[in-house]
This record gives sequence, structure tokens and C-alpha cells, in this order.
Amino acid sequence: MPASSRPRTNRNRIILIVIIIICVAVVTLYVRESDSGPLHKIQNFFLDLVSPIGGAFAKIVRPIKDGFVNLLHLPSLSKERDDLQRQVAQLRQQGIKNNELENENSELKRLMRWEETQAEFELVGADIVGQSPDNWQRLMILSRGSSSGIKKYMGVETDEGLVGRVISVGSRSSVVQLITDSRSGVGARDQRSRETGILDGQNGSILKFDPMKDDADLKVGDIIETSGLGGTCPPGVIIGKVSSVKTRSSGLARLVEVKPFVKFSQLDKVLVIITPEPESVILKEAQ
Amino acid sequence: MSRNRRIFLAIVVVLAFVLQLSVFPQFKLLGAQPDLILVVSIVVAVTDGPVAGAIVGFFGGMLQDIASPQVMGVSALTKTLAAFMAGMLKDFFMTYSILLPVLLVFFLTFFELFLHQGVLLVLGQEQLPPLNAATIFASALYNVLLTFIIYPLLRRFRFPVKEESLSMAKRA
Repeated sequence: MPASSRPRTNRNRIILIVIIIICVAVVTLYVRESDSGPLHKIQNFFLDLVSPIGGAFAKIVRPIKDGFVNLLHLPSLSKERDDLQRQVAQLRQQGIKNNELENENSELKRLMRWEETQAEFELVGADIVGQSPDNWQRLMILSRGSSSGIKKYMGVETDEGLVGRVISVGSRSSVVQLITDSRSGVGARDQRSRETGILDGQNGSILKFDPMKDDADLKVGDIIETSGLGGTCPPGVIIGKVSSVKTRSSGLARLVEVKPFVKFSQLDKVLVIITPEPESVILKEAQ
Repeated sequence: MSRNRRIFLAIVVVLAFVLQLSVFPQFKLLGAQPDLILVVSIVVAVTDGPVAGAIVGFFGGMLQDIASPQVMGVSALTKTLAAFMAGMLKDFFMTYSILLPVLLVFFLTFFELFLHQGVLLVLGQEQLPPLNAATIFASALYNVLLTFIIYPLLRRFRFPVKEESLSMAKRA
């Protein structure tokens, strides 16, 4: 090695070592501190700062993306339109029947005082301003935070069904872990048989339902909804439809797959379910 | 490295971060999104040397860590090491062909990912995201595609030091 390049190599090594020391120090401090520690506060503050910029970019990009998607799906659109027209006719008939059932249902609810418990849940609308910056998490950044009453562990939904739960909150932004994230687990039940279980995300488009009982009565086409256990989400929020029920080769347990109703790639607005003290409920359960 | 080049690279890192957060999640390829910050760090390491790449990797990774609820500092560490390694390997091969950054980006995508998982494992993170071979491969390919755009762009804006200032420096 020439003598002149030796000091440069040493300088490079020193810079690299300094960067590594800074990274290790930041990692150690972050892991050791609580959720209200200074690094977590910096993270939340930065999220508040970045979310409007991300939101502006997302607004510009979304129409371009929709244009591409429409172009790709052009051949199937006319078939889809025919199918939708048929469905509208069926739903119109169904609507008439539903009105009768609704009247009957509201009468029963009144008798059970169910409405009183539901009244405590308020909904807050929020725009999606960003998504997870890597392939290994399924997250969304919302335009609303603690200043709108949002707290950690609150449920998030749309008119299509459950989206996920809040895992981090800044004053004007929050991060939602989608139900498809591999670390997500939601208390759920079968709408028909009332069998309860846990609905796990798998970082894909399909969810896995783990029923409490091995011989649970589950069929393809059953609707899965929140069970309300856990306190973050009210019961009865629809999640998806059972797409397959397979018996594992060991014969001990069944593999139940659920396709969520929410089209996560097309979301731009969501509703946060304002529940009273969701964090304390989670902590109480953990204890 | 000239002052203009430093300012240019700082703008590139911030822009890459904003695109990573808001644009690329909308344009997934085979279910995967690219890691633009990693691509920029590796390309800078190839064009400007290992230290410049490491510094870009550090700041880009730190931005990524701060903007998502994950352990702060892990992406900064893994991207710094991946970029530094790219710069060292470039010095070893001594070529200006685009094939070198393309190959470095492809293989270092795997390296950075496994290092990231390894660090999280050492930290005792209970729920590690599952590694999916198809997603990793698709992500590496996506990164390679971006390299074909980023490498010529970063090589084009070199902002060479002016002749006058060079001669002044020589006189001094």
C-alpha cells in the first residue's frame, strides 16, 4: 500500500467506527427506554413532521397509480360491471328483507340494552398519508393523532371492515398495524356458529384463524367478525370471509384461512374507533 | 468531494426517504417494494467511496428508523455497513461498468436484510417479521432496476472542483 493512502484508510476506519458506535448507542438507549422516553418522543415528533409531506406525495401519486391499475384491468372491467349490475338487483331484494329484520333486531337490542354499551364508541376519520417503508411490516401512517383523541391500541376500520390497530401515536399523526401484519392478532368469532378464536396476520393477503376449539364449527363462506375480547374493538366489526378450511397433516388442528373484506391497497381514508382507555385494557390482560 | 456534491447528496437522501415512505408502497412489484435508501447508499459508495456511502447509509437509515415504529438505529447500522462494504469492494474491482453497482446492489440487499434480522435477534425482539424468499428476491430485483436509474444520475452530477481553485490549491 502506498504511504500516502495509509492515513486515508485510517481516517476511513475511524469514521466507520464512530458511526457504528453512534448506531449501537442509539439502539441500546431505544431498547432500554420506555414508550415515553426521549428517542420514542423524537420518533413521534418526526412522524408528525413527515406525515403532511408524505400525504401530499401520496395524493399526487394515487391518481397515477389508479390510472395504471385501470389500464391493466381494462378487459375485465366490462365483465365486472355486468356482475355488479346483477348484484345490485339481488341486493335490492335483500334490502327489503333486511328492513324487516332490522326492525325486529332493533327491538331485541333495545330489550338487551346493547345500544347503551355501543354508544361509548366514537369514530374519528383520518387520511392515510404513508405506508411501511419496508417489505416486512404492514403499517399505515394516519393524518390524525393524540390531538384528535387517538390512543395506542385503538381499533381502525372502514365501511368494508376492520383495518388494524394503532401502535404508535404522535400529536398529529399515528401508525396503524394492519391485520395482515405478521405480528397482528385479533380476537375474532364466526358470525354463524359464534366460535371464537384469534385471527393472525401473515404479511400476505390471507389471514389465519386459530379457533379456541379444535372441532370448531367453521365452513367456507362464513363471515368472521371481531369478538370484542381485548377491549380495543367493539364486537361485531366484520373482518373477512373464510376462504378455506384444511385439516393439517398431523390431524391435530385445522388450518382456517380468511380473506379480509378490506382492499388494503386501495385505502385512502379510515375511521379510528375511540374506545375508553384501550392501553389499560391490554395491560390488564397481559398481567 | 465538493460542497455542491455534498448538498446534492443530502437532497438525494431526503428525496429518497420521502419516495420510500409515500410513493413506493403504492408501486409494488411481485408484492415487494424496493429499498431506495439502500440503493442510493451503495451507489454513492461506488461513485464517491466507502466513507461517503457509509455516511449516506447512516443518515438515510436513521431517517427510515425514525419514521416507522421500529428499533431506532438498526437500519442506520445495517445500511452503513452494507454501503461501506460496497465501497471497499469497488476499490478492489476498479471498474466503472454499471454491472458492478448492479451486482453489489443485488447481493448486498440480501446481506443487509439478514444483518437486520440478525441484529433484531440479538436484541431479543420477540416477534421477528418472517422472511419470505420470493419477497426478498423480488425486492433485490426491484433494487437492481432502480440502480439502472440512480447510478447514471449520481455519476452525472459530480460537480467537479473548478480549475481555478485547483491551481490556487497547487500554488498554496
